[in-house]
Amino acid sequence: MSSYTVPIGPIHVVLEEPIYFKLAVEGETVKGVDITAGHVHRGMEFLTMQRNIYQNITLTERVCSLCSNNHPFTYCMALEKIARIEVPVRAEFLRVVADEIKRIASNLFNAGMLTHIIGFDSLFMHIMQIREIIQDVKETLYGNRMDLAANCIGGVRYDLTAEQGKYLTTNLQKLKKPLAEIIKLFMTNKLIRLRTEGVGVLPRDKAIEYGVVGPVARGSNVTYDVRKENPYAAYNYLDFDLITETSGDVHARALVRLKEIVQSISIIEQAVKLMPEGPTCPDYLPVIPAGEAVAKSEAPRGELLYFVKTNTSDIPERIKWRVPTFMNWEALQVMMPGCKLADIPVIVGSIDPCISCTER
Amino acid sequence: MIWEEDTKKAIWGHCFLPDPEMIHQVALLVAAFRGRVITITPYLHGEEDTPKKLSIAYHFDIRGVTITSTIALQEGLHKVKSITPVLKSADWNEREMQEMYHVTVEGHPNPQRLFLDDSINLTEDTMVPLSVAMSGATSTTLWEKVMASPKEGRGKNE
Repeated sequence: MSSYTVPIGPIHVVLEEPIYFKLAVEGETVKGVDITAGHVHRGMEFLTMQRNIYQNITLTERVCSLCSNNHPFTYCMALEKIARIEVPVRAEFLRVVADEIKRIASNLFNAGMLTHIIGFDSLFMHIMQIREIIQDVKETLYGNRMDLAANCIGGVRYDLTAEQGKYLTTNLQKLKKPLAEIIKLFMTNKLIRLRTEGVGVLPRDKAIEYGVVGPVARGSNVTYDVRKENPYAAYNYLDFDLITETSGDVHARALVRLKEIVQSISIIEQAVKLMPEGPTCPDYLPVIPAGEAVAKSEAPRGELLYFVKTNTSDIPERIKWRVPTFMNWEALQVMMPGCKLADIPVIVGSIDPCISCTER
Repeated sequence: MIWEEDTKKAIWGHCFLPDPEMIHQVALLVAAFRGRVITITPYLHGEEDTPKKLSIAYHFDIRGVTITSTIALQEGLHKVKSITPVLKSADWNEREMQEMYHVTVEGHPNPQRLFLDDSINLTEDTMVPLSVAMSGATSTTLWEKVMASPKEGRGKNE
């Protein structure tokens, strides 16, 4: 049987961003994969060390678009740890609201892309139309459809009035019915199931070995979610389920993301209801002393870690972040061998890759 | 090791290892507890006007507990033993450190470049683009399968 090498990328229609795969193929079956990154490396970690700690809030928000809120959020948490700043409780709830809104938009985007990849374009357009509800919410509450600019050191830069809270919950209500229908479709539709079930399987032991995170890990029944394991912001006040699936395939990862949207809606509703009155940020510009700290959060794609080291100046000595996709790429070495050529796009899409994040 | 519990009851630990070789023992311990590497942070530090020193902070996770173990490398000897054979999750992190901070990682099972490099080119004649492979491979492969299958049971109706 013919053996040959198939290159994918760096620019290809199945990729949202540039990355380069070299696949060893025998007939129609993939035997091995080699990944090369670096096409959108912007040296952002270096850039953060050329700017002051306050400017970096804006810069880190631009690492990525879909999980943009988590970057300044986690960065601020690390600074707050160094300076021992107590964040007002209302701000902690508002941080959760911003984060979960971004999670809904991001997970819906991936669900849409998955249906597009398998050729179910009517559902793709339907999902993207539903997603517009949450995009409008972002635009109305934060003034922007992608970068929310919600975080500052010691709190948040926005507040929710009673009217805005009502607007938010009303729009979330609009999401519920179509979302339930989409989840039902993903669970029952023959086309979706044929193209995703048993495809790109990542067994639980391999998921643990490769250190994968987020819905990729939870789709392989790894019960790890930073919001549960290392609660931060107001997550310890809120009741939500940790979603897992057991089959470890493309279908499982898609279901985890969709079911997590249901949890996100519930989290926001609870947050709006339980949020106490009070300040949202310090009334002074915090000074950050010399020190170092690690902070973690659960971005839509999984665990995000920030390591910040400061000295006596306002220019940080080192800022390092590890994005979830960085850990998930290598798991393609397990998911791809044995799969058919036609399954490659759907497997790559199922790890919800963020290449801008990976390369920084 | 210094342990801290934050206001949300999350536990964080950090320690400084006097001997860089000790990171391998830490990795063995983490592996024994089925932990993983979250990331590895190399960083330069030191006073202005003096040569910068290189330290490496290894961030591990064991069941939700985050541990940072830091080692300091000797000046001019930017070499560490790879922990990837013990903890697979260190793979990309060590490769990135190798490229970005010129740290030699000894014993890495796959030390090839991670990020873009001149060695990557698309001119190999052996390569077939995915779009071509996906549209043309089915019929070719199907035919090859038919030809490769045992002759019994084939051609009865010919």
